[in-house]
Amino acid sequence: MTELSATHFLLLSAALFIIGMVGVLTRRNVLVIFMCIELMLNAVNVSLIGFAWELHQLTGQIFALFVIAVAAAEAVVGLGIVMALTRRTDTVDIDELRQLRE
Amino acid sequence: MTVQVLVFWLLALVAILGALGVVAARNPIHSAIGLVLSFLNVAAIYLIARAEFLAVVQVIVYAGAVIVLVVFVTMLVHPDDLPEFHGRRPLRIATGLVLGLALLAEVSAAILAHGLRGTPGPWTDDTIAAVGGNTRALGQVLYSDFMLAIQLTALLLLAATIGAIALARPEAVSERLAAARRVMTISLAHPRGLDQPALPAALPEPQNGRVKEAGGGRPIVLARTADEFTEQPAWGEWRAR
Repeated sequence: MTELSATHFLLLSAALFIIGMVGVLTRRNVLVIFMCIELMLNAVNVSLIGFAWELHQLTGQIFALFVIAVAAAEAVVGLGIVMALTRRTDTVDIDELRQLRE
Repeated sequence: MTVQVLVFWLLALVAILGALGVVAARNPIHSAIGLVLSFLNVAAIYLIARAEFLAVVQVIVYAGAVIVLVVFVTMLVHPDDLPEFHGRRPLRIATGLVLGLALLAEVSAAILAHGLRGTPGPWTDDTIAAVGGNTRALGQVLYSDFMLAIQLTALLLLAATIGAIALARPEAVSERLAAARRVMTISLAHPRGLDQPALPAALPEPQNGRVKEAGGGRPIVLARTADEFTEQPAWGEWRAR
């Protein structure tokens, strides 16, 4: 662990991903859950770039680029859904949004 | 312990603290600030890993565009809804924490127990410098080996844009009127409804005993219950909670 290696990147990635996962599991505000999902996507990028750096490849960086593009698309659609939700149901509490279930 | 590792751990520590702030903050704006902190530190870590182009993209797309969108939507949501809601869920929080710690322990054990095995690729620092830098090398690979993927990504972004416009578009007035007409029509400008033979027996009591007087040119208010007067408050300025 004295030299920087992919292990460091993987540990950071795991920590960030799991913090985001705990946030998705415990929080009730749709906006915070959305931010936690962004955090998890970002954590995946860290491990992809760590692998790319360790193995002298560019494929990992390109995958991270695609993940960023998909995350941007997800952000746009997700926030559009949040806007539509607040306009129709007037809440961002995930526990009160049960129209699909009932 | 080289300087590189120390810098890495410092940046990683701040990134993790920012991430914890996202989860722990009660105000979504504070969560967004923690998210910016985390993203910027992760961008610096990309620089350590010699991914200069991705560091810039990270700052522009994540710390710029996505955060601006999130803060914008947070501001648009009604402020009553913003603090974390009544009644915490201690059982749920405890379950999440226990599951998270267990998963973290498992994943860390897996990472530390197994070394990385793979065949190193051709893109060492020297070959990247020979091509002309990280961005040029990335572009060469991206527009040769990943041509189909990048075109599909363009299609995805287009579809997401159209979807967002369709989702966030306000309902047209004619649609809202048609939907309201299917339920019931009350015209507050007349003693009797337009379509109904008589007013329903139980009209809701106005809040504060105050009703807006029917001025000339005021649009007809269509609603089923008093709770639907949130957009056009005819019964005073209260919101159904």
